Amino acid sequence: MAKPFHELRERLLRAGVTPRHVRRYLTELADHLADLRAEEERAGRSRADAESAALVRLGGMDDLAKAMIEQRQFQSWCVRAPWAMFCLAPLCLLAGTYFVACVYLWFGWKIFLPGADTPFGSPTGPMYGFANIYFQAGKLYYFGAPVLVGWGIGLIAARQRLKAVWLTVGLVLIAWMGATSRIHASRTAVPGGLGHISMNFFTLGASGQAISDGLLHALVILTLTVLPYLIWRLQKAHSGPV
Amino acid sequence: MAARETNPNFMNGVPELLILRLLQQEEMYGYEIVQAIRSRTDAVIAVGEGVVYPVLHGLERDGALRSRRKKVNGRSRIYYSVTVKGSHRLDDLSEAWTNLVVAIQKLLTGGQHGEAIP
Repeated sequence: MAKPFHELRERLLRAGVTPRHVRRYLTELADHLADLRAEEERAGRSRADAESAALVRLGGMDDLAKAMIEQRQFQSWCVRAPWAMFCLAPLCLLAGTYFVACVYLWFGWKIFLPGADTPFGSPTGPMYGFANIYFQAGKLYYFGAPVLVGWGIGLIAARQRLKAVWLTVGLVLIAWMGATSRIHASRTAVPGGLGHISMNFFTLGASGQAISDGLLHALVILTLTVLPYLIWRLQKAHSGPV
Repeated sequence: MAARETNPNFMNGVPELLILRLLQQEEMYGYEIVQAIRSRTDAVIAVGEGVVYPVLHGLERDGALRSRRKKVNGRSRIYYSVTVKGSHRLDDLSEAWTNLVVAIQKLLTGGQHGEAIP
């Protein structure tokens, strides 16, 4: 991308214009610039002069940026309501993925361990084959969910060139929720009744060991989620101001 | 005290008015729109050419314009055209602008209490 448009893109993104609208704006500006340049060349200017004249006719960077930034309707929700985008929405999304994990576990319990009192381990010894794959995949999904959600909001923050404050709050909440989530499963007392699965969040166990385990788990999630964002920031810092 | 309607910026809504009027006749892409404004107003109204796009995008988002991508001479262009909602908006803007012009003209040519400016 040409330098003036690169600067304009960074400016618009930092001002909170959604990446989709920035992309479209810059595409149309680039097309317009090509038309202007062709017109100037037809008028007999050299290529370099035509380029300069076309840039002047297109408008100064301040004007181009201001015209788009003033259209409040193109502002991203990350700027309008960062608390919702980086705290509320990821927590709701994570709660949703945990709900899916519970349903997945319940089906596995019903299909592969119909007689067991709990889906955590088979009463007849280790599982093999598809049952093993099924439960391992569920475990991977359960433990990977907070990391994936964290990466998601990190990507949003990076695309929008946002400062790290709201992202950090969001990642800490995700790490806390991921570290303190507990699944409980029990068979109901009614003979032939269905198993019961529930979850609770944001509570650490009473014992010191449980607290330190929870904190360690939170730290692992936080590190994994924040790492790609930090790498991106460092790369940006090397290639120019963020 | 009742709020008084003011008209802080006489050029407010003019780019929208011009764009909607031009696009009502035929669909155009950004470069064509700017050239048409310049030629049909004898270059009296000249805008920074790039700033036409935020206005177009805003009108499209409001439902006054629709856009479609079209390949012309091997290049992909985004063509804009007016919707029914856009036509209504054009009528409203035209009426408001005509009233404003009549009022200013009346003032400049004397009106009830003034005298015509030579």
